[in-house]
Amino acid sequence: MTQLILFNVFNGLIIGAFYALMALGLSLILNLSGVINFAHGGFLALGGYLALVLMPYTGFWGALVLAPLLTAAVGLVVERTLVRPLYGRDPLYSLLLTFGLAFILEDGTRFIWGAGTLPFSIPGWMTTPLSGKFFFLTGFRLFMVLLVTVAVIGLFLILNRTRLGMRIRAGTLDLETVSALGVNVRVLRNLNFGIGIYLAGLAGALAAGMLGLQPTIGSELIMPSFVAIIIGGLGSLTGTLLGGLLIGVASGVTAVFFPSASEAVIYVLMAIVLLVRPRGLLGEEGRF
Amino acid sequence: MGQSRSFTLGRRGLLKAAAAVGATQFVAPLARAQGGSGTVKIGLDDPLTGTYAELGRNEQIGCELAIEQINKKGGILGRQVELLVEDSTSANTGTAVQKAHKLIDRDKVDFFLGNVNSAMAIALGEVTNQSGVLHVVTGGHTDSVTGTDCHWNVFRVCNTTRMETNSVSKRLLSQYGKKWYFLTPDYAFGHTLQQGFEAALKANGGTELGASLTPLGTTDYSSYLIQAQSTNPDVIIFLQAGQDAVNALKQAVQFGLNKRFHLAGAQQELEVLDGLPPEARVGTWVFEWYWNQPKVPHVQEFVAAIRKRNGGKVPTARHWFGYVSTWTCALAAKHTKSLDARKMANFLQGFKLPPEVALMPNQPFYRQGDNQLMPTLYVGHAAEQGKSDPEDLFVVDDEVKGIDVAPPVPETGCKMKWPA
Repeated sequence: MTQLILFNVFNGLIIGAFYALMALGLSLILNLSGVINFAHGGFLALGGYLALVLMPYTGFWGALVLAPLLTAAVGLVVERTLVRPLYGRDPLYSLLLTFGLAFILEDGTRFIWGAGTLPFSIPGWMTTPLSGKFFFLTGFRLFMVLLVTVAVIGLFLILNRTRLGMRIRAGTLDLETVSALGVNVRVLRNLNFGIGIYLAGLAGALAAGMLGLQPTIGSELIMPSFVAIIIGGLGSLTGTLLGGLLIGVASGVTAVFFPSASEAVIYVLMAIVLLVRPRGLLGEEGRF
Repeated sequence: MGQSRSFTLGRRGLLKAAAAVGATQFVAPLARAQGGSGTVKIGLDDPLTGTYAELGRNEQIGCELAIEQINKKGGILGRQVELLVEDSTSANTGTAVQKAHKLIDRDKVDFFLGNVNSAMAIALGEVTNQSGVLHVVTGGHTDSVTGTDCHWNVFRVCNTTRMETNSVSKRLLSQYGKKWYFLTPDYAFGHTLQQGFEAALKANGGTELGASLTPLGTTDYSSYLIQAQSTNPDVIIFLQAGQDAVNALKQAVQFGLNKRFHLAGAQQELEVLDGLPPEARVGTWVFEWYWNQPKVPHVQEFVAAIRKRNGGKVPTARHWFGYVSTWTCALAAKHTKSLDARKMANFLQGFKLPPEVALMPNQPFYRQGDNQLMPTLYVGHAAEQGKSDPEDLFVVDDEVKGIDVAPPVPETGCKMKWPA
């Protein structure tokens, strides 16, 4: 029993890392631009499909590098043409926009690649367990955790060590002052949106290796990300990371005792956090 | 709080928004139906969006082929036939029922077809029964559709879950062992499948080591798989369908569980095997129809005709469901020379499908008393790569007669009430 729980905690951390990857992108965009990107799942699916298309030409690794970049490029265009005109308006506008965009992306992928699941193969050595005992630790999963770690460290380095990051952080706190100080807020938001969508694309390319690639892949994964943000606390990327890991572990451990509730438990966790600490674990006070 | 903050969204907004995203599941997509007078109308209420979009779409293609053939042969009672298609969505039964009312009350369809989703099939059966429209259930498998929820006007082409489990149990018990662990999707279809297997285990002195109920739409199966392997079973039974099945099998194989245990289940579909990477095409399953049956008459013509409409891909059981359902309507009308549902339903009791419609051995027929089609079931195993054709992904080991594995009518719980 102890072993079973330990296995599930460990495995939960792996899954949690994946939730965190998606949630970080969402969180980044939400924090700076105040846009709840409902289309995040759509961009995730796009990342997966682009990886599939690129794979015959570039191989798995090339696809893993290029697909998120291409997805981010689409994100930049979308931000520039569709999202930007809505800044400064009631948040409802951008909400409706991304809401509609989510449908467009899902149906768009369905239109281009069909409604069926497409086989997505990853290199053979990655799909085999590394050890007999820890059979759930496959090369791919380990690689995924590694990649998430790198992405998170990279993101934190960008945010804390570069001028762009400093501006993004400053903009998150008070965009108007940042703008008054001569920072081009438009470019800032555009790049920030791009980074967020890059993370969605990366998550998509990774998800396609674990799950079946089909148009609804993003919408199935997106809810836990929202929950991760709320649990971790709005405005805090560290919180989002923590939230993602927490729901992964909670869901895994619940599966030992009460499997059918393993999905529901993340919402229960969210409800508890909201009741006890409404701003989330590491959220700023007064952010709502 | 800075001025710029006034337009940002807070926790409450995010919560509301998250709730709204959940609600998108229930947004009904656009309907497309064409009116027309003088034609015989067949209404298809099936999922075209969401999880079951591909299955619904394939059933639609089967219907369309049948309609084309029927019209070429002079239509139904000398009138041309048209298909009215509504998107029932994959998960919202309310939408499916609303679309059914639209088809029946506004478009005045003469026949009604659908649905992939079991819960919808049951609900739609209620609606068509109240309106007295002949209804053929295309692809909802849960037992009660032709069991406790049966109706005189509701016929079903696909198998009951019990027929599926009965057909494959014998092979699993005799070849792979008697200790089983279940991964069961937590809804009617999964539950009835599990009950079917449990009955077979009990009858043969087997042991159920445990069962994990997995929520519909689960993406990560690792924690359930950890649970399953810890009990050290002979067979891990996967009862997931569609995308859930793809996710579960893909992950089980990545964990190497197929090398330690036998993986199996009941219903398997070509759509799922097609979506899996080759190494994950493993296990023992039941197919409800299979395209590679060189000895069965008319199958090759059917395969060629569907390939033309299906982007070159072979038909799956779903195409066959749509095809047989539509032809059932036309044949019932032809033989009774009427569009009266009562007469047609009466005629279909015990009706044997002609070979050009059946496309399978052992002449399938609609059983009298519960309106359930008694087809042939194909028990076999998945193949990594197709030998003759890239889509030849299933090897049939046994052909099982439906009537041999279906519980007798009194055991199904069906108490048919015919109108006076």
